[in-house]
Amino acid sequence: MALKDELAGIVGSECVSDDPEALDAYSKDLSFVKPVKPRLIIKPGSADEVQAIVRWANQTATPLVPVSSGPPRFRGDTVPSVPGAVIVDMSGMKKIMRIDRRNRVAMIEPGVTYTELQPELAKEGLRLTTPLLPRAGKSVVASLLEREPTLIPRQLWASLDPLRCNEIIWGDGNKLVTGDAGNWTSMEDAWERKQAPAGATGPGQADFYRFVSAAQGSMGIVTWASVKCEILPAPHKLFIVPARKPDDLFDFTYRLLKFRFADELLLINNSSLAYILGDGPGGIKALMKELPPWVVLVGIAGRSILPEERVAYQEKDIADIAGKSGLKLESAVPGARGDDVLKALLSTSREPYWKLGYKAGYQDILFITTLNRTPEYIKTVKSVAEASGYPTSDIGVYVQPLHQGANVHCEFILPFDRDDSKEATGMQQLLTKASEKLIEQGAFFSRPYGIWADMAYKRDAQTTTVLKKLKGIFDPNNVMNPGKLCF
Amino acid sequence: MALAKEAYRELEEVVGKEYISDDPALLDCYRYPLSHTAIHIGPYYRVYTPRGAAVLLPGSAEEVQGIVKVCNKYKVKFKPSSTFWSAWGFPLEDDTIQLDMRRMDKILEIDDKNNYAVVEPHVIGATLQAEAMKVGLNTHIHGPGASCSCLASATALGGLGPDTLYMGHHNENLLGVEWVMPDGEILKIGSVGSGLGWFCCDGPGPSLKGLVRGMVGTNGAMGVFTKCAIKLYPWPGPATLPVEGKPPAYKAVLPDNLRAYTLGFPSWKAWADSCYMIFDSGIGYVAHRQFNMFGRDLKGAMVRILSDPTRTLSDIEELLKDPEVQKMTEDMKRDYQIVLAGMTPGDIEWQDKALDKILEETGGWKVKAMLEPDLFNWSLLYMIRLGHKNLNLVFGGGYDGCFGLGGTPDFGTSGEPARVEQVTAFKVEWEKKGNVVACGGDGMMGGIGGMGGGGHSLWENFTHFDPADKASTEGTFEFFNATAKYGAEKGLGPGMEKMNDYARWTDGYTTPKEIRDRILGSAAQPEAFRYQRKFKETFNPNDLGDGYYRTLDDPDE
Repeated sequence: MALKDELAGIVGSECVSDDPEALDAYSKDLSFVKPVKPRLIIKPGSADEVQAIVRWANQTATPLVPVSSGPPRFRGDTVPSVPGAVIVDMSGMKKIMRIDRRNRVAMIEPGVTYTELQPELAKEGLRLTTPLLPRAGKSVVASLLEREPTLIPRQLWASLDPLRCNEIIWGDGNKLVTGDAGNWTSMEDAWERKQAPAGATGPGQADFYRFVSAAQGSMGIVTWASVKCEILPAPHKLFIVPARKPDDLFDFTYRLLKFRFADELLLINNSSLAYILGDGPGGIKALMKELPPWVVLVGIAGRSILPEERVAYQEKDIADIAGKSGLKLESAVPGARGDDVLKALLSTSREPYWKLGYKAGYQDILFITTLNRTPEYIKTVKSVAEASGYPTSDIGVYVQPLHQGANVHCEFILPFDRDDSKEATGMQQLLTKASEKLIEQGAFFSRPYGIWADMAYKRDAQTTTVLKKLKGIFDPNNVMNPGKLCF
Repeated sequence: MALAKEAYRELEEVVGKEYISDDPALLDCYRYPLSHTAIHIGPYYRVYTPRGAAVLLPGSAEEVQGIVKVCNKYKVKFKPSSTFWSAWGFPLEDDTIQLDMRRMDKILEIDDKNNYAVVEPHVIGATLQAEAMKVGLNTHIHGPGASCSCLASATALGGLGPDTLYMGHHNENLLGVEWVMPDGEILKIGSVGSGLGWFCCDGPGPSLKGLVRGMVGTNGAMGVFTKCAIKLYPWPGPATLPVEGKPPAYKAVLPDNLRAYTLGFPSWKAWADSCYMIFDSGIGYVAHRQFNMFGRDLKGAMVRILSDPTRTLSDIEELLKDPEVQKMTEDMKRDYQIVLAGMTPGDIEWQDKALDKILEETGGWKVKAMLEPDLFNWSLLYMIRLGHKNLNLVFGGGYDGCFGLGGTPDFGTSGEPARVEQVTAFKVEWEKKGNVVACGGDGMMGGIGGMGGGGHSLWENFTHFDPADKASTEGTFEFFNATAKYGAEKGLGPGMEKMNDYARWTDGYTTPKEIRDRILGSAAQPEAFRYQRKFKETFNPNDLGDGYYRTLDDPDE
């Protein structure tokens, strides 16, 4: 039986495609990862179908590449590394299975996007904290599994928050439900008993869901997940604290993190903020000049109990803390009003994606470090950019405190013109040089996409060995996105 | 079979003569009485854990690695323990090498900017808390109390505690691990593995933190954790706790931004409603149903005894007749304790107002008797320090928890009658038999949180007994058999009373395979334990751990 027919037998012929244009679209993305054309695209509609696909892949030694989010894609993780792969397009699994206001959890399938989820949560008085302006077609589950940073550090008790329970089809074809839900034989029965899938750990003495995190689809496929929501804020204000240098903002930021004050809390430079707020390349360029060089964005939200009073005392106290660092809490700065920034932060990205508004392409460099070490990395990227002839004023920097301040996500956004081969080649060289220097300096590439994988794993031989053994347990035939990470 | 002379000599070379012993008298000191507080298997009257082959006190990760390599060479099982909380820390088989980690007791680093500490195995909660407070920080103190190892809690065991609502579960707090794996290789997890510092436990790529632990850890059955980094939290109080009073009536007069309340509620529905409102509002520094471990009927009297050094247990009968104590006990029937910690004056005022609003909406109250200055200061210190774990044993010398009712606040408090009342009524009948302390049936103690930011309330029904008394111990064992059966029939989830019987059986040794397979095979997802078997086969090829690691050894079915 032909491959296409075999898969049609699992998902139905309408959910299998070998359309050349569609295959071409999955063969590449906007990263520098080498294009490889997949063989087919299939669109499962249920966990049972996913399980059948994975079992079939094991029998036929067919590579599978799971994809949940819509285009554009940027990091090469969904581009096959080997020929003959089948794309498992999860975007059709779109059910919002349950929203539980009292326990503040939602159960969703991997095809559900932020655009689709937030309005449904809002009807129940909830919302989900998001990454910085996710694109409209971004899968919530994929974003959380990839450990994308979210905006409210005080709510991040764990690095995978707000992801909680997951149903996983492993590469060996077995199914396992993780977290609280892994201790129940039936979700229906659990709901009946007033339980809710709120806890992420287990089952047993392992945190299985961590093995699929930042795995780029190389361990298994998640077919539903539960997420911990927040109360829909009201009132909700956003303040801007400007400064000339990032270091000037550290004492203030550390103090807020330590007190667990503020909701949204992030540091960003003028270029990044201009990419978020600016209109077209001209507008962005003008805005870069107008905005303060650096700002901390400080959201303050009231929720359910005495909300107005909470916002009032935090506003006053945060202003006092800013004052002690010689800073001011502003509701607007030249080029940006807090209300507009808040509106942007609470939305998905407009079109084109905000990092593509200035030029038709961009490269980002992202890693984990601690807040106090970020200036040295900024210096490094600027120095490499300068040596490469890249305009340093275009470098966007975004520093997101995570895990209640124990570390930060540090991201550089480097727009360039993809259609200009000289610029593209220059950017590729800049990316390599800067990444090598950063990793030498102490940057932790915890989500090692593309060229970062070799760099990261070379530094940690024992982790590489253990990861390979783990991969052998969950995906013994290496059918899940082979060629990624150290696999 | 004693340890081979050659193996002993090689181990001696690793740690030095003064840190190894196979003296039978000393080895007997490293056995544990399973009639005592064995958590959660029995109790078994006059049964002890097996005698080890030798006890070693390693002083570094390199020495631990050397020991593990010798153990692999001679195929000798090993069992590490830091503060020896309960039977978990003791061997399941004769002739196991026991590692007492007490020499590795250093706080290696406190990063007061990025809020974490790097610790060795024998750093206890009290020590780390005292050091952290000097720089305006605090540490999560887990359920076993301030005298237990922080590292053991964060890596190898549970990790819950009264402050979990604000300071997280230790699973959440773990930022890096140094692990001597069972095959003798050293794995450093997260950023520290790349030599970049201890600030992140996940990556590069899939997180190996998942191999270290889940809701619980591997109980010393999968190698030895020799260092870890844990997240610290703000401490808006003095650099040292101004402790005063005579034991056990320690108290501390702390600044007004630290406040301890005991809250009472008119119904279990109101009790649960208040938990959800606390989770939603984000208030609270510590929140726990703590004093109920003495029992619904006895806690008022016990609080009076424990906060007054002139009183003893023999005063309890008299106190129970005191109308004021009776009123206090009634006010505290459906209760929990909460500590508010304000980072600024505005913060504490808002938190207190928010709490009042929650009480107004639920019909709850701040128990007046607990606002008396002495009780206020006593309970404040008690909740912040959690240094009173000896009181778990105060009635008869032994205790264990049963039922569990783990999950959402609604789970334990819903049903008709509420599940908490169902199990209370069940326990009251057993208390009448005279083998366990009659405390009113409800000895439910546990967190109002269960994970950072709330979401769970986790209870265990404290059952007090006399481990020196055969009838009391065996009667308690029978009671736990009955609760396990009752819990299964009523769908209350896995009971804590038998939580570890898959590992250790009534003779103190490893549970027979057919029983173990039946217990683990009947779990909601036996697949998890089949994967754990594969982890063991892969990373512990000579099977040098013990049965506390849950592996299902049946064929993959």
